[in-house]
Amino acid sequence: MTLHSEQAEFPPQSRNAVGAPRRPSLAAWKTTAARRMRAFAPVFVLVALCILIAIANPNFIELRNLIRIANAAAVPLTLAMGTTFVILMGSIDLSAEGAVAIAATTLVLLAANDSNASNFGWWAVLAAVCASGFMGFLSGNIQTGLRIPSFMATLGVWFIGLGVSTYLLGGSAVRLMDPALRGLALTRFLELPLSVWIALAALAVAIFIQYFTRLGLHIVAIGGGEDLAELSGVNPRRVRIAAFTIAGLFYGVAGVLAAAQLGQSNSVIGDGRLFAAITAVVVGGTALTGGEGGVINTLVGVLIVTVLGNGMVLLGISPYIQQTVQGLMIIAAVASSLDRLRLKIVK
Amino acid sequence: MLAAQSISKSFTGVQALRDVSVTIGGNEVVGLIGENGAGKSTLMRILSGTQSPDSGTLTLDGKPLRLRSARDAARNGIGMVFQEQSLLLNLTVAENIYLGQEGEFTRFGLVNWRAMRKAALRQLGKIGVDIDVTARTADLSFAARQMVELAKALTLEDSTNCPLTILLDEPTSVLARADIDILFTRVRSLKARASFVFVSHRLDEVLQVSDRVYVMKDGLIVGEYRADKVTAPQLHEIMVGRGLHSGYYKEAQQTPPRPAVLLEAAGLGVSGAFRNVDFSIREGEVVGIAGVVGSGREELTRSLGGFLPQTSGSLKINGNAVRLASPEQAVKLGVGTVPRERRTEGLVMFLSIASNITLANLGSVMANGIIDHRRERSVAKEWLKRLRIKAPNVDVACRKLSGGNQQKVVLARWMTAGSRILILDHPTRGLDVGAKEEVYELVRELSAQGVAILLLSDTLEETIGLSHQVLTMRDGEITARFEAAAGQKPAQVDLLRAMV
Amino acid sequence: MTALSQLRDLPGVSSGALRNLAPPALLVFLVGFIALFVPSFLSVQTLTMVLADTAVLFILATGETFVILLGGVDLSIQALASLASVIVAQLLPSLGLGAFPVAIATGLVFGIASGIVHVGLRVPSFVATLASGGVVAGLALLAAHGRAITIEESGRGYTEWINATTWGVPNVVAIAVLVGVAGFFILRYTRFGRFSVAVGAGEPAALAAGVNVNRTKITGFAISGTLAALAGVILAARLSSGSPSLANQLLLPAIAAVIVGGTAITGGLGNVGRTAIGALIISVVRIGMTFVGVNIFAENIVFGAMLIAAVAITIDRSKIAIIK
Repeated sequence: MTLHSEQAEFPPQSRNAVGAPRRPSLAAWKTTAARRMRAFAPVFVLVALCILIAIANPNFIELRNLIRIANAAAVPLTLAMGTTFVILMGSIDLSAEGAVAIAATTLVLLAANDSNASNFGWWAVLAAVCASGFMGFLSGNIQTGLRIPSFMATLGVWFIGLGVSTYLLGGSAVRLMDPALRGLALTRFLELPLSVWIALAALAVAIFIQYFTRLGLHIVAIGGGEDLAELSGVNPRRVRIAAFTIAGLFYGVAGVLAAAQLGQSNSVIGDGRLFAAITAVVVGGTALTGGEGGVINTLVGVLIVTVLGNGMVLLGISPYIQQTVQGLMIIAAVASSLDRLRLKIVK
Repeated sequence: MLAAQSISKSFTGVQALRDVSVTIGGNEVVGLIGENGAGKSTLMRILSGTQSPDSGTLTLDGKPLRLRSARDAARNGIGMVFQEQSLLLNLTVAENIYLGQEGEFTRFGLVNWRAMRKAALRQLGKIGVDIDVTARTADLSFAARQMVELAKALTLEDSTNCPLTILLDEPTSVLARADIDILFTRVRSLKARASFVFVSHRLDEVLQVSDRVYVMKDGLIVGEYRADKVTAPQLHEIMVGRGLHSGYYKEAQQTPPRPAVLLEAAGLGVSGAFRNVDFSIREGEVVGIAGVVGSGREELTRSLGGFLPQTSGSLKINGNAVRLASPEQAVKLGVGTVPRERRTEGLVMFLSIASNITLANLGSVMANGIIDHRRERSVAKEWLKRLRIKAPNVDVACRKLSGGNQQKVVLARWMTAGSRILILDHPTRGLDVGAKEEVYELVRELSAQGVAILLLSDTLEETIGLSHQVLTMRDGEITARFEAAAGQKPAQVDLLRAMV
Repeated sequence: MTALSQLRDLPGVSSGALRNLAPPALLVFLVGFIALFVPSFLSVQTLTMVLADTAVLFILATGETFVILLGGVDLSIQALASLASVIVAQLLPSLGLGAFPVAIATGLVFGIASGIVHVGLRVPSFVATLASGGVVAGLALLAAHGRAITIEESGRGYTEWINATTWGVPNVVAIAVLVGVAGFFILRYTRFGRFSVAVGAGEPAALAAGVNVNRTKITGFAISGTLAALAGVILAARLSSGSPSLANQLLLPAIAAVIVGGTAITGGLGNVGRTAIGALIISVVRIGMTFVGVNIFAENIVFGAMLIAAVAITIDRSKIAIIK
């Protein structure tokens, strides 16, 4: 007599089970195909959006307008690259606006400006990016060291960043007078402003980090399951701190570009940028739960949001309801790209 | 040779391990058996570095060994294959195999993916399986993932010079029979390269694969045997401290069902899962359903619980035709499910015992639309007493209870809700022998009270032992019906013939 | 449950009782600390002012508590509060007191809409309410033509009852207390309240026990939306104006109040009493800085640091498997 006969669980063709991925069943193929389709949903949304706007107003595809779109996308793209890494881990980073404010303020106060006598030129850029990177480093350490949710840790850092920047600026706006740095927004290379090229470089760096480095793999692994990744020898604390720091560095670059575009820094320079960045990440198809998506998705997400904004201006839609349209678009885009079968619980 | 000497470990008043010593020789498969709570898992955690002992030492080839983390253990050639798998489903097979050990493919933080994939293929080759290393792990079958996990553990061979010890923690509990055979074949063929510790509560499997077996009970090693010198029933007696008597399934307490039909399915179907299912359950009747994975029996129970709406046929509850669209509706009609996933679906683990017991019928402890907390606690206390639930008080969160007591809380909830039809989906899964017996007793009691029960179980024996009637399913259809009155139980072979 | 969280799931000492005391203790400490520098902080007048200033934040946070308890988050409350302020400011002259129910009903409707988008389209609440917040913000801009609308003398007669004081207690405080008591009562004594906690603590198990999860969630968002609108109405009355950006600085402090009070951001654990403590902590820090004499430009630095410290002290980590 067997004590626990297991025949009851006998699967019909289990001999094949081990090699299953080589011989996928039709059903399995269908789910895989469906997942691939969903993965491309944001791209379809972008293409459809472009076609519709172009039909309604052919000016949309004029070179001048496309450059305008690229210019408008530069800062959000750089910001959203940073946010992507944090969201990939299943965390959230609310510190973007504070970090942008810190970077922009550091830049204008160290470069030639109308408030003090400093003139450190390009060193100011480096200092600005580092200052913002330090804010990210701080977020990472607070989150892992004090063991509090990233939502609250980065919320605190947001206020700190904003506070430091307001304090340094004394509540007023300081103008950026360094012509070379202003040139980041004004000088053009191959028709495009330098800021667009810098954003593209930031994109390249982000792609490189996510797809070619060990850190990128570990960030995705933590998003898939931090406890499991840790069992495999990933050091979650180090990876988390690194990811938040990288996010901070990207925010720093975005802050420099924003200051160059505005020609000044003030306490509200970051306003509205945080949720715009998160929107772009989410619309691009990166899951807030972590582990799925990435910087390429975010590129698509940023383009969707920017093209929509540009299109609404071209179509003469009242600026008042542009937020409304964007809100509806977020719902449509996210609802179409979510793989709900895998998400048993939606929170 | 890996050895543990006089290991003791306690958690807030509970002595999990007492003076435990084991040795794992080179190229040996050592079995470790014991009931739930006997201390197997704690011992495994200590061997794998995820916990440290209060006293006692580990030695590797006679030299003392201190393990502070899983990584430490890995450096010393000790790898673990977890019961609930530790692979990341969003990564590819190759990424999973080398996660945390990308060092050899990494230059300046850059990973050479081609080299990693090639190496992963080589690892899988060691156990002789053919799996696409670029596939997402989520797309693999459970059995294939287990093989990947084994391959991952075998990478230690390349990263350390130490002899390899691989800890297999209940690797078979989620595998089908044929896959278990494949796993065992691999383990035997890998014996030349590594030693294994094999933990399971299925004695026949342990004997089948091991050279030597340790038996644990109450935190102690109570026996050590050569696998060819001992039989499963003997081990069982040592493990439980008593023999497996004929009254195990409480057959003597089996009462005949009453005539009234509580649930009746005619031509019931869910497209893609099962079809043309006809059966009925009478008051006080236990109907067992036997079938292999893919037979449709799982979906049938989900459908009756309201989780999976029927697409064809008709269903009558208490004589009224119904269509179950949600668990809420099923519960209102008196159908309660004791789900297989006790930890996630059975109970709200962070909620108190009292809240869990009344959750399905809050109305019973409400007055004028307001929850009467005093009444709620007294109802819960009543159940604690009646079902012999071991808990300090009714305000304790359910996650603090043992599996058997949790299962009793689930049953208490359905009795509070006045459910007349219960769906028991693997009600004894993961319970130790003592807790199982208590569940059997409760099933008998409920059936004597006239509750209609649909039973899905881990083993055929349990299905036959508990049921009045057993239905077999294959490929989504019912293939045979067996009467199983007390003393006239059908034979397993006959059922099997109708199942496969 | 994954392997490691099981490993961690070991019997341990329950520090629950101590944890529950952390937020009130922090509040007492903060008040004591400020009083040490400025004894007049403890005057009835000042404390009344603190309470009055906390009222709006608390009402917003109470609504948010319902959603967070369910395991979600509602990012649309500031937009809803702003919209409600615009509606009140615009309708007071024509509808009089009737403007209030219209504004609050708008909150209810949009709350329900957020809930339906969340459960119906299965969009995570963070995204669903980020989007619905955008929709509402756009409508507020449209309704107000992008401007702030002052409540003229003619309309102020209708808002006086909000700004008045009864027996020395500002009416806004009374309203907040009413909201708090109602919220406490709903969570502790009603079916919906129990279901909310169950869904937040273990959604699949709640579903299997026959809880209508979708209805519970939509109700939670409806309450959040309604209270957001109520907060907007009060804000409009206090500031005598309605504007599409009136409540823009209140969303994150409201969420912070909930979390600082000790409600778990993962859901299933918390109550309105904790939120009251959390909201008071936030307000006392804000107002206390002025009293203690922190440079107004540096206030955000202190506030951010205090926020982090408060969460680090009050959060109950034993209920969160992985801190993300």
